[in-house]
Amino acid sequence: MHIRKSSVVRIARYVSIRAGMVAVAVVVAVYLTIIVANIGGYVDEIIVSEIRFNVYESIRINPAYKGYSPEEVKKIAEERIESEIKRLGLDQHFMIRSFNYLYDALTLNLGRAMRIFSSSGSNRVWDIIGERLPTTVLLFTTANVLIFLCELFIGLYLSRVYGSRVDKLAVSLAPLSSMPGWFYGIFLILIFASWLGALPYGGLVDAPPPKEPLSYALSVLKHMVLPLLSWAIAYIPIGVYRMRTFFLMFSMEDYVDYARARGVPSRIIERRYILRPVLPPIITDFVLVLISSWMGAIVTESVFNWPGVGTLMVGAIAINDAPVVIGVVTIFAYLLGISVIVLDIIYAVVDPRIRVGE
Amino acid sequence: MNRLVALFLISILTLNMLFVAPLPLKAQQTPRGPWIDEAVFFTEVDPDKAVEMILKNEAQIYFDDVTYPHILKLVKERGLSYAFSYGLYYELTFNPVGPEFPATGKLNPFSNARIREAMNYIIDRSYIAGEILGGLAVPRYTALTPSFPDYARYADVMYEIESWYKYNLDKGRAMIFEEMRKMGAEYRNGKWYYKDEPVVVKFLIRIEDARKSIGDYVSDQLEKLGFTVERRYGRSGELSPLWIRGDPAKGEWHVYTGGWITTLVVRDEADNFGYFYTKLGRPEPLWQAYENDPEFYSIAQKLYYRNYKSAEERDELMSKALRLSIKESQRVWLVHLTSLWVSRPEVSIAYDLAGGYSGSWLWPWTLRYKDRVGGQVKILTPDLLVEPWNPIAGTNWIFDQSIVRATGETAALPDPYTGLFWPHRVEKAEVYVKEELPVRKTLDWVTLIKVGDITVPKDAWYKWDTSQQKIVTVGEALGDSVKALAKVVVHYGKDLFSGKYKWHDGSPFSIADIIFNFIITHERADPASPIYDKAYVPDYSSYMETFKGFKILSKDPLVIEYYTDTWYGDAEWIAEVAADDFWPYYSQGPGAWHTLAVGYLAEADRKLAFSADKAKELKIDWMNYIAGPSLDILRSKLQEAINSRFVPFQEVLGKYLTVDDALKRYQNLMSWYNSKGHFWVGNGPFYLEKVDVIAKQLVIKAYREHIDTADKWLKFAEPMIAEVSLKPVGTIIQTQPVTVTLNINVHGKPYSVGDILYVKYLLVHPGGKLVGYAEAVEDGLYEIRLGPDITGALEEGVAELITITVSKLVGIPTIAKTAFTVKSLIGYVGEQVAGVKGEIGGLGARVDSIESKIEKMSSQVKGLREDVGTLSTVVYVAVGISLVSLIVAMVTVFIGRRPRT
Repeated sequence: MHIRKSSVVRIARYVSIRAGMVAVAVVVAVYLTIIVANIGGYVDEIIVSEIRFNVYESIRINPAYKGYSPEEVKKIAEERIESEIKRLGLDQHFMIRSFNYLYDALTLNLGRAMRIFSSSGSNRVWDIIGERLPTTVLLFTTANVLIFLCELFIGLYLSRVYGSRVDKLAVSLAPLSSMPGWFYGIFLILIFASWLGALPYGGLVDAPPPKEPLSYALSVLKHMVLPLLSWAIAYIPIGVYRMRTFFLMFSMEDYVDYARARGVPSRIIERRYILRPVLPPIITDFVLVLISSWMGAIVTESVFNWPGVGTLMVGAIAINDAPVVIGVVTIFAYLLGISVIVLDIIYAVVDPRIRVGE
Repeated sequence: MNRLVALFLISILTLNMLFVAPLPLKAQQTPRGPWIDEAVFFTEVDPDKAVEMILKNEAQIYFDDVTYPHILKLVKERGLSYAFSYGLYYELTFNPVGPEFPATGKLNPFSNARIREAMNYIIDRSYIAGEILGGLAVPRYTALTPSFPDYARYADVMYEIESWYKYNLDKGRAMIFEEMRKMGAEYRNGKWYYKDEPVVVKFLIRIEDARKSIGDYVSDQLEKLGFTVERRYGRSGELSPLWIRGDPAKGEWHVYTGGWITTLVVRDEADNFGYFYTKLGRPEPLWQAYENDPEFYSIAQKLYYRNYKSAEERDELMSKALRLSIKESQRVWLVHLTSLWVSRPEVSIAYDLAGGYSGSWLWPWTLRYKDRVGGQVKILTPDLLVEPWNPIAGTNWIFDQSIVRATGETAALPDPYTGLFWPHRVEKAEVYVKEELPVRKTLDWVTLIKVGDITVPKDAWYKWDTSQQKIVTVGEALGDSVKALAKVVVHYGKDLFSGKYKWHDGSPFSIADIIFNFIITHERADPASPIYDKAYVPDYSSYMETFKGFKILSKDPLVIEYYTDTWYGDAEWIAEVAADDFWPYYSQGPGAWHTLAVGYLAEADRKLAFSADKAKELKIDWMNYIAGPSLDILRSKLQEAINSRFVPFQEVLGKYLTVDDALKRYQNLMSWYNSKGHFWVGNGPFYLEKVDVIAKQLVIKAYREHIDTADKWLKFAEPMIAEVSLKPVGTIIQTQPVTVTLNINVHGKPYSVGDILYVKYLLVHPGGKLVGYAEAVEDGLYEIRLGPDITGALEEGVAELITITVSKLVGIPTIAKTAFTVKSLIGYVGEQVAGVKGEIGGLGARVDSIESKIEKMSSQVKGLREDVGTLSTVVYVAVGISLVSLIVAMVTVFIGRRPRT
């Protein structure tokens, strides 16, 4: 009992220290993002220039202002410019704003975007991200989970049949992964959409969207086929190769050989002597892949016209909408931080070799 | 029983004939509302993919302009339909400070007007248009947009400028070298030096589009002339702090690749000279650094303020401004991009000369399948649902606005090809303007009357007083003798309030919709109002500078009087301002009073705000009538309106509607919301059927209860560009009259004389040029009659006749040319005599030649006879041999009848 209590204290202390370190890292990462996303405040200068140009242009091309004197135009324009600057919050010094951004980020308030709106018309960063996140999760989390499972099971299988024809074939396919998923995506669109006309060019759902929920879901699935396939082609071969090598290395450990020598059945060897020790890195890999999938994939989303977080980020960066960029990064940072702590705990649970503070 | 069966079958057949057979005919009848049944909007940002999808019939139209030459090639090869619009235009903006920059002491060659003018020669605009932009551009030399009305109006001056300033590197080099030396620079070893340092040109080059290649090309040209060019590449945001906000005296840049845009057909570009070349344009340091020749500045100023009294005076000022502006060349215009718009060949749609398909106000009325009525059209657009939709201050994005326009309608609609307004819900208008204003009219629905003075009646409505909830008259606000520059009497359609003209939710259109607009226009700018929006005040203030009064002369049919100081060169534009000012189509879309009343309640309760600025200020949501969190709030406010029997601005609107009318409308809106899931209620040819915010898709459906039939705007489906053929002249003899005929057709049929604005001609001959107008003979036929006085003024040599045909129906002028020779009468007669002499001399030779030919022919005939004789002999012999062979064969058969074994 005494031992167990001390273990709990030890783990709690360890977790607290880790949590503190991770929290500091998150704060630093978020603040750095704020600085980078605003180019140290220079973005203000850029946006103000754009506002000035656009306001004067809008007056110039509006026939209603024909014949107005430069003084009148200036008065109208300057009022509009001032109003727009205020609306975007640029009337406040960047350093003050940067801490407001940080506060919003750390409290997960995330605030409101400067220019971007969700399709439903809200400029709350949560709403904007919340509108895109489900589609990203649907496509890329599905893709990553499928890819991960394929890698895992095929890798394990290949490690068992090391040197066989199947193994050689799998190894020879590994270079397919030298190209990213979107690259294959372009070819798949050309073949299946443009040439064969069997699958859609992109998008989330058919146009017009089917009215029945089931038809809608099937249509979404149809639109997922090509992006999933493109990622499968690009990422499964190298993943399988990696897993296979990984399992092979673990299966050649001394303690595995010793177990074999003792006559332990191969199924038990595989489960207890190989799979269990490899679990921590595999879980880590899986969790990180899962989290990164929530950031979307910028180019793949663009190629397949998939309305996800990736294209949202591109748009936000292109028009210098710092709150959206900060919002996405903050969520990612939080997820990553929490994952790191949770993983530490999981390691201790799944791997008997890991002990805290001993 | 059999008889019964037969009878049954006959009945079925008869019924079929009665009901089924007419169906295809009925389907082809002109429907109410639009031609098609449904339009589906979905997104694709990549034009290559969009065109590919159109090729595969996955979509029928792309609602964005394409600027890639390879797509133009593909579209032509694969037989897709396309149209061109004039949108972006590029130029070189020069830093005019100098000769030395005060901050650095370095030489700025472009402070010298002659060097700037010389830049016109060293740039090959045709190369930029043809090679860099692959043909998707036309050269542009001046501040006037090619193909817009002013360009056509001054086509003769444009021709002169374009001929004079065409690419001539040697001429440009000579001018630049001369001026550089005058400025104290030295040319050594192929490089310019100033105070022993190389003359560096800092070139700001935009990289987002073709301006990168253009910047590189111009840099290369400058390097050929000995300048050291420092290229700084960047995006708009990176470079704009330097050129637009920075002080040009700092010498941080010399040249910038500028780009501007036209979003509508501008009929009056006279203020461009003041805007682009003088201090009048903008308050930024660059503009304030412009120094002009006093004559040019005075002209630019007059044109900027429209300080001229007649069209003739304007013409003179414009001609001078065109010539003088290129002498100063604070900007060197390069090309005007002709953007491509792509659609399926079986689809027809009106396009706007400036805004293409999506920018056209008539697209909802003209979009159709050429071979059938009805059907679904899928439209790709780069983006959708960019910002919240609300009629007062909602989304202004073109992607959203092109759809918004399909759901509502204005009282007058702009002609997509000329920019002139045509009546839609208006029958006619009388426009009264002060006689000194150079206003003209083109279309028949407007009557233009010039008057000495326009007094605004005291009882005309001037504004709305929120505190007192009353309308303030002109007399109360401004006093007795208020004058206006223009007065318009607008006669709206007679069926406006007949009950047939309805909003999409079934509510009949009423005068309350118009009066609500009048009230809310003022209400939002009144600090006492719960919907006061200070961001709206600047626009409102400028509006009130020119608005003078509004009066309802008759309620049904609706006739109004409108007083304003706003005026344009076209009476149709003034009429449109009056007709549409309080028509319930707001800045960002259509709005029935009851839908806006619900929004009013939401903003008054500080739950939502019409404008982004107010939403930001109050930290609430920007009102969205079609999706998102706004819908629940709007629904609760609608319920509140029903429960409280709310009539907005009851003191005034209560005179035009009853509480029951209001409740009926709210119930209609509630049913609409329950059925469609949004509050967007318009009165246009389409209604909003479905919004999918996640998939970014939007469906609009035909509103078949619309008061108009689909063919109302059919004549605008294709631009009526004149096809002109000029009969070749060959030779013109001095002092001899000559008539040149022009055939002017449209789509193969004669162009109506009434639709032609003018046919101008330019006669360019070695001694100069003559300008005149062709005369109409009949539809499709014009004549240029050159009398002896004109032909007598022509100098001998090769000449060219250029005609410029300008139609009232399309802004694009048609230019036709023919070359001819001018000869003197004496010379001509001499030539004729010499010709006759030569012909006589040549006649004898020809006779000799004919004789020899006859002899030759007779000998040939003789030879032929001999050949025929020989041939006859051969035939006889052959026949004889054949007969003998036949006999031999018969004998052989007779002898050998036994079969072979």
